[in-house]
Amino acid sequence: MATDTHTARRPVLAVLPRVTGLLNRAVTIALLALLVFWLAVNFVQGPGQFGSVLLIGFTNGALYALIALGYTLVYGIIELINFAHGDVFMWGTMITVSIAGTRLGLDGSQSGIVTFFGVLAAMVGAMVFCGILNPTIERVALRRLRNAPRLAPLITTLGISYILSNAAQFFYGPNYTGVGAILPSNILFLDWPAKSLIVILATIPLLLALTYVVRRTRQGKAMRAVAQDMDAARMMGVDVDRTISFTFALAGILAGAGGTLYVLEITTTRYDLGQIGLLAFTAAVLGGIGNLTGATLGALIIGLIQAFNEGLSWHAPGEQWTTSIVFSILILILVFRPQGLLGQPEADRA
Amino acid sequence: MIDKLPIPRWARRAIIPIIIVPLVVLYPEYYTSLGTSQLIPTLSTAVTMTVFVCMAVGLNMVVGYAGLLDLGYVAFYAIGSYVAGWFASTQFASHSIVFGAVGVQSHAIGIHISIWLLLPVAAAMAAAAGVVIGLPTLRLRGDYLALVTLGFGEIIPQVVRNGDNMFGTGFNLTNGVAGITPIDPMGFRYLHGILPFLPDNFLLTPNLDVWFYRVGLLLVAITVFCSIRLRDSRLGRAWVALREDEIAAAAMGVPLMQVKTWAYASGAFFGGAAGCFYGVYQGGAIPDNFKLYISTLLLAMVILGGMGNVWGVCLGAAVLSYLNQQGLGAIGNTINSNFGTNIEITKYEAGLFGLLIVLMMLFRPQGLIPSSRRKAEFDVVKEEHEAAGVVVG
Amino acid sequence: MSTEAAEAPHPGVGPKGAAILETRAARKEFGGLVACSDIDFVVPERSIVSLIGPNGAGKTTFFNMLTGAYKPTAGEILFAGRDVGGLPPHRITKLGVGRTFQNIRLFQTMTSVENVLVGMHCRLKGGLIRSILRTPGVRREERDALARARELLRYCGLSERVDDEYSMNLSYGDQRRLEVARALGSEPTLLLLDEPTAGMNPQESADFTRFVSQLRDERGLTILLIEHDMKVVMGVSERITVLDHGEKIAEGSPAEIQANDRVIEAYLGSGAAGSAGAGSGATA
Repeated sequence: MATDTHTARRPVLAVLPRVTGLLNRAVTIALLALLVFWLAVNFVQGPGQFGSVLLIGFTNGALYALIALGYTLVYGIIELINFAHGDVFMWGTMITVSIAGTRLGLDGSQSGIVTFFGVLAAMVGAMVFCGILNPTIERVALRRLRNAPRLAPLITTLGISYILSNAAQFFYGPNYTGVGAILPSNILFLDWPAKSLIVILATIPLLLALTYVVRRTRQGKAMRAVAQDMDAARMMGVDVDRTISFTFALAGILAGAGGTLYVLEITTTRYDLGQIGLLAFTAAVLGGIGNLTGATLGALIIGLIQAFNEGLSWHAPGEQWTTSIVFSILILILVFRPQGLLGQPEADRA
Repeated sequence: MIDKLPIPRWARRAIIPIIIVPLVVLYPEYYTSLGTSQLIPTLSTAVTMTVFVCMAVGLNMVVGYAGLLDLGYVAFYAIGSYVAGWFASTQFASHSIVFGAVGVQSHAIGIHISIWLLLPVAAAMAAAAGVVIGLPTLRLRGDYLALVTLGFGEIIPQVVRNGDNMFGTGFNLTNGVAGITPIDPMGFRYLHGILPFLPDNFLLTPNLDVWFYRVGLLLVAITVFCSIRLRDSRLGRAWVALREDEIAAAAMGVPLMQVKTWAYASGAFFGGAAGCFYGVYQGGAIPDNFKLYISTLLLAMVILGGMGNVWGVCLGAAVLSYLNQQGLGAIGNTINSNFGTNIEITKYEAGLFGLLIVLMMLFRPQGLIPSSRRKAEFDVVKEEHEAAGVVVG
Repeated sequence: MSTEAAEAPHPGVGPKGAAILETRAARKEFGGLVACSDIDFVVPERSIVSLIGPNGAGKTTFFNMLTGAYKPTAGEILFAGRDVGGLPPHRITKLGVGRTFQNIRLFQTMTSVENVLVGMHCRLKGGLIRSILRTPGVRREERDALARARELLRYCGLSERVDDEYSMNLSYGDQRRLEVARALGSEPTLLLLDEPTAGMNPQESADFTRFVSQLRDERGLTILLIEHDMKVVMGVSERITVLDHGEKIAEGSPAEIQANDRVIEAYLGSGAAGSAGAGSGATA
């Protein structure tokens, strides 16, 4: 008797996952086709506009990558969403404004050499500041909570995020602050905005350096060991606390560099800029959290989506919908492919 | 704190009903005699406090009981307010439906439903939204879920802000940045005839805040009651179980998705009701009110009071909403006038709340009035930490 | 101390001796790694069956497939004649499979009674609204459930003192017993015990062994256990299945297993010498 019901039910149960799988794939393909069609029409209608939007997208993507890598590094090692990371980046922009604008007075009128070294000084300053700020946060507020219930450090970073942005409001005021157009907006005969190209070009060595540190150096190996299994790493003689601090420092350094590049590109910043962090975090999740290449890829995709949405003219929802679109993508990714584009599915463990 | 004082158990149990409840209920009668200091909560502040207590107790069901971090609770507040906006204003001017509304002509344009009916409707719509949001996302791990809720908390305000021309169709759902205002007032339209001391329309009473305060307290009472009943029920036990160990809970026969969805929906329910009430009190549903900041503030209330403990959460919500609404400004003014300084303390509100969250998490993560469970939980963590070297292997 | 015999037999359960649990070529792979390789396995009703094998043999993975924590990659898992492979854990629990965990997984900040009440979750009905209103039905159900929970705690040998104690404050042995009581709360017909005597001293193990037989005899349960302590295994089991490297290498009565060359080889080969009790306290 029992066997009868079982044979009667079985086909339905067996077919169901396949049907939902097919449906998923069909919907994905349909959406992608729609996206391609939309882009194609926009391209045909205004190739020039499309080109510049594409460049903006890559620039955004490069900036987001520098922030997203910070999220992914920290998540990779202690499985924590660091809500304060966006605000560390915001402080990177502030320090850049202080050094390049207020202290050095760069405004684009200086010679190429002066501008280059001025910008370099600002960038190093921002990198050092954020590279110290981020591990300090970890040391002061997060280390004690490493064994606390999982939500405790998460909530703490949320609190820190408010402290950081409020502190920026205290020191830099509630309004936009910024610098002049330090970089020229076009190169020689090309009509392309040079500063965007410079931002993209400046990102590449940073990414390569990060890859080198993580892959080749002793600290990088320690990082990977801790990310794999903290207890095992500790027993093998890895200084776990130091490694985690180092990871936060790396994340901070990238955020600081990102801050400088952001100021060069956009020229203004404000205390609440940290919210950009949510976009960057989405990028990290999209690419596969914990995966460095994934974070970069995700950041490019998010940057492009944002640029398309805000810059294209044929049936683009427009800037006021950017947050909604990005978060919708985040939700869809988390629901249908939580491991992200490049991540490996987690082995299910009981 | 309170648990360390040498007060017998029965006395502690009696404190709330015998001393605190009359103090709270009778507040409008005696607050004027407390003096004229601007630190004394005005009735308007008191109404706001009731609203936030409701929302915090609702959020506590999700965060404190079931252990699901919700960073987008403001979405339910928004839904509640907009339900009031849609069904008790002139927003949908092409219709003319009047049902039990107060202070409205019988052939007024727009939809005008009695607020008393809208409160449960708003709550139910928020709960439904909670289910819709929850179903696809609740199987995600804790921190991912937090992120998704954060996403919804950002999407919904953006939708209402841009909702005056939905997707270019010209359909005005939310009246955009201006929001929907005014919203019809509350009042005892039918009961007024039978019991004349119940006002027909709150707006026409000498001190309208008194009646809003009473209604607010009624909502608080209902919310707290339901919250306690749920905590002590089969469902409440399942929430604690899944918060502690999802895998063990599932193996013991607790259907995770269903139980989480109920937690989410119950929390949303009270957020929706409170949002509706607050919308009516403020006379409008304004997009700028629905910020991520509110979600964080609510979370801070739950943490400050003591996750999982209803009374602690009430206290936390009352204190923080007082500070947010009136207290911080008043404290700043008091300091400035006494010391001749010129500090705009309200500017640092966000930072102060952030600091409060961090300090609480570091030094008293179980909250001011912890539930005994939470206390035990943090003790476990400490022990585990200490024993880590021994247990491994 | 003990309550009267068996629960009413579950619908769909055959006569005594019929297979209550059967796996047909059950297989679980993680990535390319085969943790359980095409295992055929039968547990007759009201029997006590042990699953043994060296560390990493795939025993716990196999358990997790049976309870729905893992979805089998291929093959069938029939419980009371029904394919339960890939059903979510709570559904399988409701069908009548209870379990304990290798490394105790009690709800630490819930009292003993509450732990058992959570175990009863799928047998209780109180819904959201009726719980808020606390209808007479819910009131009665809760009262009965509480009485039953206390009864189960007594049955498992826990004193009244621990009823309202947080489970994290219980002694190790009591925690093990509480895990069984909690599993019994879901009124299982098949009880899976994952290394129940790990960390117990010989006296406690012997007591526990008796308790397992008692569970079968008095409550009519079928019991499947993973165990390292050979004294327990040989003393209590009617049949033993041996896994090694994810494959079933032997099956039979305790005497047959003790004489089986492949089993001896597997144990000696893995360095975990087959002497009785050597593995107690170790983890798989």
